[in-house]
Amino acid sequence: MSSNFGGKRAVVTEDAAGRRVRGGSGADTPPPLRPRRRGIGWAQRLEIAALSGPAILMFVGFVIFPVLLAAYYGFYRWKGFGVPTNFVGLDNYVTILQDSSFHEALQHNGLIVVLSILLQGPVAVGLALLLNQRLRGQSIIRVLIFVPYVISEVIVGTAWSLMLQTNGAVNDALKSIGLGSLSEDWLANPKLAIWTLMLILTWKYVGFAVILFLAGMQNIPEELSEAAAVDGASYWQTQRRITLPLLAPTIRIWAFLSIIGALQLFDLVYIIWGQYVASTAGTSTMATYMVTEGRNAGNYGYGNAVAVVLFAISFVIALVYQRFVLRRDTQGALTEGQ
Amino acid sequence: MAPNRTLAVAAVLALSSLSMAACGGDDDKDSSGGNVTMQLWENATTGPGKAFWDKTAADFHTAHPNVTIKIQAVQNEDLDGKLQTALNSGSAPDIFLQRGGGKMAAMVEAGQLKDITEDITAETKQAVGDAVLKAGQVDGKAYAVPTSILPGGLWYSKDLFKKAGITSPPATLAELTDAVGKLKANGTPIALGGKDAWPAAHWYYFFALRACSQATLDATAKSKTFDDPCWTKAGEDLKTFADTKPFNDGFLTTSAQQGAGSSAGLVANHKASMELMGAWDPGVIASLTKDTKPLPDLGYFPFPAVPGGQGDPAAIMGGADGYSCSAKAPKECTDFLNYLLTKDVQEAYYKGFNSLPVNKAAQGAITEDYLKAVLDAYNKAPYVSQWLDTLYGQNVGNALNIGVVNLLAGKGDVAGIIKAVNDAAKKG
Repeated sequence: MSSNFGGKRAVVTEDAAGRRVRGGSGADTPPPLRPRRRGIGWAQRLEIAALSGPAILMFVGFVIFPVLLAAYYGFYRWKGFGVPTNFVGLDNYVTILQDSSFHEALQHNGLIVVLSILLQGPVAVGLALLLNQRLRGQSIIRVLIFVPYVISEVIVGTAWSLMLQTNGAVNDALKSIGLGSLSEDWLANPKLAIWTLMLILTWKYVGFAVILFLAGMQNIPEELSEAAAVDGASYWQTQRRITLPLLAPTIRIWAFLSIIGALQLFDLVYIIWGQYVASTAGTSTMATYMVTEGRNAGNYGYGNAVAVVLFAISFVIALVYQRFVLRRDTQGALTEGQ
Repeated sequence: MAPNRTLAVAAVLALSSLSMAACGGDDDKDSSGGNVTMQLWENATTGPGKAFWDKTAADFHTAHPNVTIKIQAVQNEDLDGKLQTALNSGSAPDIFLQRGGGKMAAMVEAGQLKDITEDITAETKQAVGDAVLKAGQVDGKAYAVPTSILPGGLWYSKDLFKKAGITSPPATLAELTDAVGKLKANGTPIALGGKDAWPAAHWYYFFALRACSQATLDATAKSKTFDDPCWTKAGEDLKTFADTKPFNDGFLTTSAQQGAGSSAGLVANHKASMELMGAWDPGVIASLTKDTKPLPDLGYFPFPAVPGGQGDPAAIMGGADGYSCSAKAPKECTDFLNYLLTKDVQEAYYKGFNSLPVNKAAQGAITEDYLKAVLDAYNKAPYVSQWLDTLYGQNVGNALNIGVVNLLAGKGDVAGIIKAVNDAAKKG
């Protein structure tokens, strides 16, 4: 799905850029646009078609087409066998919006969005600041922090669920160091499960944020901190007044990726809690709800409607974020039309 | 706007090539007579069960050299979903495991199963009996042959029961509750694979089997409304029983069949004393013991009688695993189904899966006490109900399963089960 939003983003910003071009040149010199248009010969058209064709084919075939199909199926009560015939209008959507399990899933998603940023952000900034200095074994530490992000979700989920079981390694370790009273049903206790999930998510995705932030810090000109040092600024003052403000664009982009990822979270939950009990354990997300009520229940029409709702929610949030938070960052940074 | 037109043409080309690819996937399977290759999907991925299928396919090929059967083992929890996807996309296997009930009815309705009514031979009918073959029928037409009868009940460790001072298997709910109390001294009384939801739901189903009359069970299969008070009574009985804390800690994230930490694994390694399961359990348990041999002290007793219900205390619930041919399968498919029910293959099936064969002559080969106990309970039962999640179809079954898990985990109540089922009706 994320490629989906990448695509949408391109469309929107291109539009904005186009408007800028038109606004700037349209006032006094409209004609130059036309000769340029005419200048495109068949050879150039062919080139454009040949170069953009494969990407457009993939995008239309695997993103746009399924979205349209999901919207179509969402209007039917359909068991997934043969062609849908039982048109129910907006009934599926009404049911979704009234379903308490969906409300719970939505709440979990919201909590995960907020907590991901609150937990991973500060930790990642701290680690990035630490790793941005000259340290012994710096590259090894960087790799170690990044490793969890590279490991496949299935392996992470399986490993953590084995370790966190009632008789798993975590509780055994707690017992052996005399903290047996702290042992818990980390995964099965509905009050705890979502926090366990947050810990695993933080462990897994903090490395990605650290790498992004490090890259952002490398782009901050050295002269600024040198000048600050000459002026007698302490280390912390330099970080607070120079590094963090200049890192803000990177942080905003990271937060965007994190929000989208959190809204569509599926794999880790599905691996750890399986097909059925995520809602019972209090870790269901909109995506697991979609699979439970769509595929497991055999209600494919309903499942498609859930997919559309999930798409709409993510899309609106992405657009709002683009419009109000990322606006400054993307201005002038994107190539303007021809 | 020429580039846009190019785009439009490209998009149309892309879509049409996609749809053509979707249509082109089917090869012509109906051409019989010459060499035939058939795909078979089953759910034994390891051990003697898988060996049985490999050998059976090879034997059939020896007897019918023009027929090759390719065995595809699919992990049990994945099988239903994958099968449904395959059936819907027109790439169904020719022969596949059929669980019957509402799911089979949906497949029949969608025209995805081959009508094999005429193809079941007289020898097969005589060897198996009409009563058992009924499990593979919808509205009087046969769409599957049962290969094994799988009644449910409690599978227990005789050693652990003896150690706790329990001399005879519990016959009433009071005795079971009493046994649970005694067994707690030696660890977990009852293993439960709540992660897969259906093992937890089986507890509710069996309480419902005791609380509801056969007529109510059948009527509900048609109406899909759970307004009879017996459904509430079953939930309350289960709640009372669950409040005695008979299940393993963390049952919510325990799976049913995968690995030593699963509920079957706990029984196989004497970490738990019993579990409520269908008659496939001895085979699953055997594959999870340390030496992957059958558990020597395994025993069986039927679900105990529960006071105050309308159901017969000797009624039994269970399924019959069977095999179906998909609608487009070649005619050799039914030859293979008949072959599956012959005495020798059925004896091999019994040995491979440690479960009850349907061929009456093959049932004579049974040596294990627990299988004899199952057969005995099965033959004594006044009626046999299909598993409720299968009987009531996928949608209601899914909602029932989740509602029961919520109840057991303390997240929902009895009314929540009924509400979940009624909500599900709105979604499908």
